[in-house]
Amino acid sequence: MKRILPFIIILVVLGAALGSAWYFTRPNPATPTVTQPAPPPSPGSQSTPAQQPVARQGVPGAEPAHSIGPANAPIHLEEFGDFECPPCGMLHPILEQMHEEFGERLRITFREFPLANHQHARTAAAAAEAAGIQGKFWPMHDLIYERQNVWKTQFNTRAIFEDYAREIGLDVERYNRDMDGNLVTQRIFQDSRRGQSLGVQGTPTVFMNGREVPFENLAPDKLRLVIMKELQAVGSK
Amino acid sequence: MRKVYIAAALLSLIGIADALYLTVEHVTGQSVKCTIVSGCSEVLSSPYAVVAGFPLAGIGAVAYFTVFSLATLAAFGYRAAGTLLTPLVTAMFFVSLWLIYLQAFVIREFCQYCLLSAAVTTALLVVVVVGRFVLKPASV
Repeated sequence: MKRILPFIIILVVLGAALGSAWYFTRPNPATPTVTQPAPPPSPGSQSTPAQQPVARQGVPGAEPAHSIGPANAPIHLEEFGDFECPPCGMLHPILEQMHEEFGERLRITFREFPLANHQHARTAAAAAEAAGIQGKFWPMHDLIYERQNVWKTQFNTRAIFEDYAREIGLDVERYNRDMDGNLVTQRIFQDSRRGQSLGVQGTPTVFMNGREVPFENLAPDKLRLVIMKELQAVGSK
Repeated sequence: MRKVYIAAALLSLIGIADALYLTVEHVTGQSVKCTIVSGCSEVLSSPYAVVAGFPLAGIGAVAYFTVFSLATLAAFGYRAAGTLLTPLVTAMFFVSLWLIYLQAFVIREFCQYCLLSAAVTTALLVVVVVGRFVLKPASV
Protein backbone atom coordinates (compact mmCIF):
# COMPACT_ATOMS: atom_id res chain seq x y z
CA MET A 1 0.00 0.00 0.00
CA LYS A 2 2.83 2.35 0.92
CA ARG A 3 4.33 1.97 -2.54
CA ILE A 4 1.20 3.03 -4.35
CA LEU A 5 0.14 5.74 -1.86
CA PRO A 6 2.27 8.52 -3.47
CA PHE A 7 0.74 7.73 -6.85
CA ILE A 8 -2.75 7.94 -5.35
CA ILE A 9 -1.89 11.34 -3.81
CA ILE A 10 -0.50 12.57 -7.13
CA LEU A 11 -3.60 11.40 -8.99
CA VAL A 12 -5.90 13.05 -6.44
CA VAL A 13 -4.07 16.39 -6.83
CA LEU A 14 -4.10 16.04 -10.61
CA GLY A 15 -7.82 15.32 -10.53
CA ALA A 16 -8.49 18.30 -8.26
CA ALA A 17 -6.41 20.58 -10.49
CA LEU A 18 -8.06 19.45 -13.72
CA GLY A 19 -11.48 19.49 -12.10
CA SER A 20 -11.14 23.03 -10.84
CA ALA A 21 -9.70 24.15 -14.19
CA TRP A 22 -12.71 22.62 -15.93
CA TYR A 23 -15.12 24.19 -13.43
CA PHE A 24 -13.78 27.69 -13.92
CA THR A 25 -13.44 27.51 -17.71
CA ARG A 26 -16.81 25.89 -18.42
CA PRO A 27 -19.32 28.02 -20.30
CA ASN A 28 -21.21 30.28 -17.95
CA PRO A 29 -24.95 30.65 -17.95
CA ALA A 30 -26.02 33.80 -19.73
CA THR A 31 -27.50 35.27 -16.60
CA PRO A 32 -25.35 36.92 -13.98
CA THR A 33 -24.48 34.66 -11.08
CA VAL A 34 -26.58 34.92 -7.97
CA THR A 35 -24.56 36.70 -5.35
CA GLN A 36 -27.36 38.20 -3.31
CA PRO A 37 -30.58 36.97 -1.76
CA ALA A 38 -33.32 36.66 -4.34
CA PRO A 39 -35.70 39.61 -4.72
CA PRO A 40 -39.46 39.45 -5.02
CA PRO A 41 -40.49 38.86 -8.64
CA SER A 42 -41.17 42.04 -10.57
CA PRO A 43 -44.35 42.40 -12.60
CA GLY A 44 -43.95 40.88 -16.05
CA SER A 45 -40.77 39.11 -15.14
CA GLN A 46 -40.43 35.62 -16.52
CA SER A 47 -37.57 34.65 -14.27
CA THR A 48 -37.93 33.02 -10.91
CA PRO A 49 -36.57 34.66 -7.78
CA ALA A 50 -33.82 32.08 -7.65
CA GLN A 51 -32.55 33.20 -11.05
CA GLN A 52 -32.72 36.89 -10.38
CA PRO A 53 -30.34 38.38 -7.83
CA VAL A 54 -31.43 41.55 -6.10
CA ALA A 55 -30.39 44.81 -7.70
CA ARG A 56 -27.98 46.80 -5.57
CA GLN A 57 -28.64 50.45 -4.86
CA GLY A 58 -25.47 52.01 -3.50
CA VAL A 59 -25.01 55.70 -2.82
CA PRO A 60 -25.71 58.08 -5.71
CA GLY A 61 -22.90 58.88 -8.10
CA ALA A 62 -22.25 62.17 -9.86
CA GLU A 63 -25.38 63.71 -11.33
CA PRO A 64 -26.23 64.05 -14.08
CA ALA A 65 -24.48 60.82 -14.97
CA HIS A 66 -22.77 60.36 -18.33
CA SER A 67 -25.24 58.13 -20.16
CA ILE A 68 -26.20 57.22 -23.68
CA GLY A 69 -29.51 55.65 -24.60
CA PRO A 70 -33.01 56.50 -23.38
CA ALA A 71 -33.62 56.87 -19.65
CA ASN A 72 -36.50 54.36 -19.84
CA ALA A 73 -34.50 51.72 -21.71
CA PRO A 74 -35.24 48.23 -20.34
CA ILE A 75 -31.53 47.49 -19.97
CA HIS A 76 -29.20 49.79 -18.08
CA LEU A 77 -25.49 49.00 -18.10
CA GLU A 78 -23.50 51.00 -15.58
CA GLU A 79 -19.76 50.70 -16.08
CA PHE A 80 -17.17 51.63 -13.48
CA GLY A 81 -14.06 52.28 -15.51
CA ASP A 82 -10.49 53.45 -15.32
CA PHE A 83 -9.12 55.00 -18.50
CA GLU A 84 -5.65 53.54 -17.95
CA CYS A 85 -6.87 50.00 -17.36
CA PRO A 86 -6.28 47.76 -20.42
CA PRO A 87 -9.37 45.57 -19.93
CA CYS A 88 -11.46 48.76 -19.72
CA GLY A 89 -9.90 49.78 -23.04
CA MET A 90 -10.87 46.39 -24.45
CA LEU A 91 -14.41 46.71 -23.12
CA HIS A 92 -14.90 50.11 -24.79
CA PRO A 93 -15.49 48.81 -28.36
CA ILE A 94 -17.61 45.97 -26.99
CA LEU A 95 -19.99 48.41 -25.30
CA GLU A 96 -20.06 50.50 -28.46
CA GLN A 97 -21.02 47.38 -30.38
CA MET A 98 -23.78 46.56 -27.88
CA HIS A 99 -25.03 50.13 -28.16
CA GLU A 100 -25.28 49.76 -31.93
CA GLU A 101 -26.93 46.37 -31.76
CA PHE A 102 -29.51 47.05 -29.06
CA GLY A 103 -30.15 50.73 -29.83
CA GLU A 104 -33.03 52.21 -27.85
CA ARG A 105 -33.33 49.14 -25.64
CA LEU A 106 -30.00 49.86 -23.99
CA ARG A 107 -28.74 52.67 -21.78
CA ILE A 108 -25.06 52.83 -20.91
CA THR A 109 -23.67 54.90 -18.06
CA PHE A 110 -20.00 55.50 -17.43
CA ARG A 111 -18.78 56.04 -13.88
CA GLU A 112 -15.28 57.19 -13.00
CA PHE A 113 -13.30 54.72 -10.94
CA PRO A 114 -9.63 55.74 -11.39
CA LEU A 115 -7.32 53.38 -9.53
CA ALA A 116 -4.58 54.89 -7.42
CA ASN A 117 -1.91 52.58 -8.83
CA HIS A 118 -2.48 53.87 -12.36
CA GLN A 119 -0.46 57.04 -12.47
CA HIS A 120 -2.41 58.75 -15.27
CA ALA A 121 -5.89 57.43 -14.52
CA ARG A 122 -6.90 60.38 -12.35
CA THR A 123 -5.72 62.89 -14.97
CA ALA A 124 -7.58 60.99 -17.69
CA ALA A 125 -10.76 60.95 -15.61
CA ALA A 126 -10.41 64.69 -14.99
CA ALA A 127 -9.90 65.31 -18.72
CA ALA A 128 -13.09 63.42 -19.57
CA GLU A 129 -15.05 65.18 -16.84
CA ALA A 130 -13.73 68.60 -17.87
CA ALA A 131 -14.83 67.82 -21.43
CA GLY A 132 -18.18 66.78 -20.00
CA ILE A 133 -18.71 70.24 -18.55
CA GLN A 134 -18.65 71.51 -22.13
CA GLY A 135 -21.00 68.72 -23.23
CA LYS A 136 -18.31 66.58 -24.84
CA PHE A 137 -17.73 63.82 -22.33
CA TRP A 138 -18.30 60.98 -24.80
CA PRO A 139 -16.02 62.28 -27.59
CA MET A 140 -13.24 62.69 -25.01
CA HIS A 141 -14.05 59.34 -23.38
CA ASP A 142 -13.82 57.61 -26.77
CA LEU A 143 -10.60 59.35 -27.73
CA ILE A 144 -8.89 58.56 -24.42
CA TYR A 145 -9.78 54.89 -24.65
CA GLU A 146 -8.96 54.56 -28.34
CA ARG A 147 -5.51 56.07 -27.78
CA GLN A 148 -4.83 54.38 -24.45
CA ASN A 149 -1.66 52.76 -25.76
CA VAL A 150 -0.38 56.11 -26.99
CA TRP A 151 -0.65 58.15 -23.80
CA LYS A 152 -0.34 55.63 -21.00
CA THR A 153 3.40 55.25 -21.45
CA GLN A 154 4.02 59.00 -21.68
CA PHE A 155 5.14 61.29 -18.89
CA ASN A 156 3.12 64.43 -19.49
CA THR A 157 -0.35 63.13 -20.23
CA ARG A 158 -1.94 66.42 -19.29
CA ALA A 159 -0.47 68.01 -22.42
CA ILE A 160 -1.66 65.07 -24.52
CA PHE A 161 -5.20 65.34 -23.20
CA GLU A 162 -5.10 69.06 -23.88
CA ASP A 163 -4.37 68.23 -27.50
CA TYR A 164 -7.37 65.90 -27.48
CA ALA A 165 -9.49 68.71 -26.02
CA ARG A 166 -8.38 70.93 -28.89
CA GLU A 167 -9.08 68.14 -31.38
CA ILE A 168 -12.71 67.71 -30.27
CA GLY A 169 -13.25 71.44 -30.33
CA LEU A 170 -13.30 72.35 -26.65
CA ASP A 171 -12.64 75.81 -25.27
CA VAL A 172 -9.16 74.82 -24.08
CA GLU A 173 -8.77 77.68 -21.63
CA ARG A 174 -11.96 76.70 -19.85
CA TYR A 175 -11.06 73.03 -20.11
CA ASN A 176 -7.77 73.66 -18.31
CA ARG A 177 -9.54 75.62 -15.62
CA ASP A 178 -12.11 72.88 -15.15
CA MET A 179 -9.45 70.18 -14.98
CA ASP A 180 -8.38 71.60 -11.62
CA GLY A 181 -11.82 72.73 -10.57
CA ASN A 182 -13.99 71.50 -7.73
CA LEU A 183 -16.74 70.20 -9.98
CA VAL A 184 -14.47 67.71 -11.72
CA THR A 185 -12.92 66.59 -8.43
CA GLN A 186 -16.35 66.23 -6.88
CA ARG A 187 -17.76 64.19 -9.77
CA ILE A 188 -14.83 61.76 -9.73
CA PHE A 189 -15.15 61.44 -5.96
CA GLN A 190 -18.91 60.82 -6.12
CA ASP A 191 -18.61 58.19 -8.85
CA SER A 192 -15.82 56.41 -7.00
CA ARG A 193 -17.76 56.52 -3.76
CA ARG A 194 -20.76 55.02 -5.51
CA GLY A 195 -18.53 52.26 -6.85
CA GLN A 196 -17.18 51.54 -3.39
CA SER A 197 -20.69 51.42 -1.96
CA LEU A 198 -21.57 48.82 -4.59
CA GLY A 199 -18.53 46.73 -3.72
CA VAL A 200 -16.51 47.58 -6.82
CA GLN A 201 -12.94 46.41 -6.28
CA GLY A 202 -11.53 46.60 -9.75
CA THR A 203 -12.19 47.78 -13.26
CA PRO A 204 -14.04 47.30 -15.44
CA THR A 205 -17.03 46.42 -13.30
CA VAL A 206 -20.38 46.50 -15.05
CA PHE A 207 -23.81 46.38 -13.46
CA MET A 208 -26.84 45.46 -15.52
CA ASN A 209 -30.06 46.80 -14.04
CA GLY A 210 -28.26 46.99 -10.73
CA ARG A 211 -26.76 43.51 -10.74
CA GLU A 212 -23.09 42.92 -11.37
CA VAL A 213 -22.23 41.18 -14.62
CA PRO A 214 -19.48 38.63 -13.95
CA PHE A 215 -16.24 39.72 -15.53
CA GLU A 216 -16.03 36.67 -17.78
CA ASN A 217 -19.41 37.58 -19.28
CA LEU A 218 -18.08 40.87 -20.65
CA ALA A 219 -16.78 39.24 -23.83
CA PRO A 220 -18.95 40.32 -26.79
CA ASP A 221 -20.77 37.03 -27.38
CA LYS A 222 -21.44 36.45 -23.72
CA LEU A 223 -22.50 40.02 -23.02
CA ARG A 224 -24.91 39.87 -25.95
CA LEU A 225 -26.47 36.74 -24.47
CA VAL A 226 -26.66 38.30 -21.02
CA ILE A 227 -28.47 41.34 -22.43
CA MET A 228 -30.85 39.24 -24.50
CA LYS A 229 -31.66 37.10 -21.50
CA GLU A 230 -32.35 40.20 -19.42
CA LEU A 231 -34.53 41.62 -22.18
CA GLN A 232 -36.59 38.45 -22.08
CA ALA A 233 -36.77 38.65 -18.30
CA VAL A 234 -38.10 42.20 -18.32
CA GLY A 235 -40.51 41.35 -21.11
CA SER A 236 -39.04 43.50 -23.87
CA LYS A 237 -38.09 42.12 -27.28
CA MET B 1 15.05 14.22 4.01
CA ARG B 2 11.38 13.32 4.22
CA LYS B 3 10.31 16.57 5.87
CA VAL B 4 12.09 18.55 3.19
CA TYR B 5 10.21 16.74 0.45
CA ILE B 6 6.90 17.15 2.25
CA ALA B 7 7.60 20.88 2.58
CA ALA B 8 8.44 21.03 -1.13
CA ALA B 9 5.23 19.21 -2.01
CA LEU B 10 3.14 21.60 0.09
CA LEU B 11 4.84 24.64 -1.42
CA SER B 12 4.26 23.33 -4.92
CA LEU B 13 0.54 23.01 -4.12
CA ILE B 14 0.47 26.79 -3.60
CA GLY B 15 2.28 27.16 -6.91
CA ILE B 16 -0.22 24.89 -8.67
CA ALA B 17 -3.19 26.88 -7.35
CA ASP B 18 -1.58 30.19 -8.32
CA ALA B 19 -0.55 29.08 -11.81
CA LEU B 20 -3.90 27.42 -12.37
CA TYR B 21 -5.75 30.63 -11.53
CA LEU B 22 -3.64 32.59 -14.01
CA THR B 23 -4.12 29.87 -16.65
CA VAL B 24 -7.88 29.96 -16.24
CA GLU B 25 -7.84 33.75 -16.65
CA HIS B 26 -5.82 33.33 -19.82
CA VAL B 27 -7.87 30.49 -21.29
CA THR B 28 -11.20 32.23 -20.66
CA GLY B 29 -9.93 34.96 -22.94
CA GLN B 30 -9.93 37.66 -20.31
CA SER B 31 -7.02 39.21 -18.54
CA VAL B 32 -7.80 39.84 -14.93
CA LYS B 33 -9.43 43.05 -13.77
CA CYS B 34 -7.40 46.07 -12.87
CA THR B 35 -7.35 46.38 -9.11
CA ILE B 36 -5.74 48.68 -6.64
CA VAL B 37 -2.95 46.24 -5.83
CA SER B 38 -2.05 44.74 -9.15
CA GLY B 39 -0.75 45.33 -12.62
CA CYS B 40 -1.87 41.85 -13.60
CA SER B 41 -3.87 42.96 -16.59
CA GLU B 42 -0.80 44.68 -18.02
CA VAL B 43 1.40 41.67 -17.33
CA LEU B 44 -1.04 39.02 -18.51
CA SER B 45 -1.97 40.86 -21.67
CA SER B 46 1.69 41.33 -22.59
CA PRO B 47 3.33 39.22 -25.33
CA TYR B 48 5.52 37.59 -22.67
CA ALA B 49 2.49 35.81 -21.21
CA VAL B 50 2.50 33.33 -24.11
CA VAL B 51 5.32 30.96 -25.09
CA ALA B 52 5.05 29.14 -28.42
CA GLY B 53 1.29 29.51 -28.33
CA PHE B 54 0.94 28.18 -24.77
CA PRO B 55 -0.02 30.35 -21.79
CA LEU B 56 3.09 30.76 -19.66
CA ALA B 57 0.94 30.24 -16.57
CA GLY B 58 -0.13 26.84 -17.91
CA ILE B 59 3.49 25.83 -18.39
CA GLY B 60 4.08 26.99 -14.82
CA ALA B 61 1.19 24.85 -13.57
CA VAL B 62 2.69 21.79 -15.28
CA ALA B 63 6.10 22.59 -13.76
CA TYR B 64 4.63 22.94 -10.27
CA PHE B 65 2.70 19.71 -10.70
CA THR B 66 5.91 17.96 -11.74
CA VAL B 67 7.62 19.32 -8.62
CA PHE B 68 4.71 18.11 -6.51
CA SER B 69 4.87 14.64 -8.05
CA LEU B 70 8.64 14.33 -7.65
CA ALA B 71 8.57 15.64 -4.06
CA THR B 72 5.74 13.28 -3.13
CA LEU B 73 7.56 10.31 -4.65
CA ALA B 74 10.80 11.36 -2.94
CA ALA B 75 9.00 11.65 0.39
CA PHE B 76 7.95 8.04 0.00
CA GLY B 77 11.49 6.90 -0.66
CA TYR B 78 11.85 7.12 -4.42
CA ARG B 79 15.40 8.46 -4.51
CA ALA B 80 15.55 9.14 -8.24
CA ALA B 81 12.65 11.58 -7.88
CA GLY B 82 14.59 13.53 -5.25
CA THR B 83 17.58 13.73 -7.56
CA LEU B 84 15.48 15.21 -10.38
CA LEU B 85 13.90 17.76 -8.07
CA THR B 86 17.00 19.95 -7.63
CA PRO B 87 17.71 20.74 -11.31
CA LEU B 88 14.01 21.30 -12.00
CA VAL B 89 13.53 23.72 -9.10
CA THR B 90 16.78 25.50 -10.00
CA ALA B 91 15.59 25.98 -13.58
CA MET B 92 12.23 27.28 -12.35
CA PHE B 93 14.01 29.73 -10.07
CA PHE B 94 16.02 31.21 -12.95
CA VAL B 95 12.89 31.45 -15.10
CA SER B 96 11.23 33.33 -12.22
CA LEU B 97 14.18 35.71 -12.06
CA TRP B 98 13.78 36.40 -15.78
CA LEU B 99 10.05 37.02 -15.35
CA ILE B 100 10.66 39.44 -12.49
CA TYR B 101 13.15 41.27 -14.69
CA LEU B 102 10.50 41.51 -17.43
CA GLN B 103 7.93 42.89 -15.00
CA ALA B 104 10.33 45.41 -13.49
CA PHE B 105 12.14 46.71 -16.55
CA VAL B 106 10.16 45.79 -19.67
CA ILE B 107 6.46 45.73 -18.80
CA ARG B 108 7.00 48.05 -15.81
CA GLU B 109 4.07 46.56 -13.94
CA PHE B 110 3.97 43.90 -11.25
CA CYS B 111 1.31 41.24 -10.97
CA GLN B 112 0.85 39.93 -7.44
CA TYR B 113 0.05 36.42 -8.64
CA CYS B 114 3.28 36.34 -10.66
CA LEU B 115 5.19 37.62 -7.62
CA LEU B 116 3.58 34.92 -5.48
CA SER B 117 4.78 32.33 -7.98
CA ALA B 118 8.31 33.75 -7.82
CA ALA B 119 8.18 33.64 -4.02
CA VAL B 120 7.02 30.01 -4.08
CA THR B 121 9.79 29.06 -6.50
CA THR B 122 12.38 30.81 -4.34
CA ALA B 123 11.09 29.04 -1.24
CA LEU B 124 11.19 25.74 -3.12
CA LEU B 125 14.79 26.32 -4.11
CA VAL B 126 15.77 27.18 -0.55
CA VAL B 127 13.99 24.12 0.84
CA VAL B 128 15.40 21.73 -1.75
CA VAL B 129 18.96 23.09 -1.71
CA VAL B 130 19.09 23.36 2.07
CA GLY B 131 17.66 19.88 2.38
CA ARG B 132 19.98 18.35 -0.15
CA PHE B 133 23.28 20.08 0.44
CA VAL B 134 23.20 21.62 3.90
CA LEU B 135 21.26 19.28 6.15
CA LYS B 136 22.68 15.86 6.72
CA PRO B 137 20.32 13.18 5.42
CA ALA B 138 20.39 11.37 8.74
CA SER B 139 19.19 14.41 10.69
CA VAL B 140 16.10 15.21 8.64
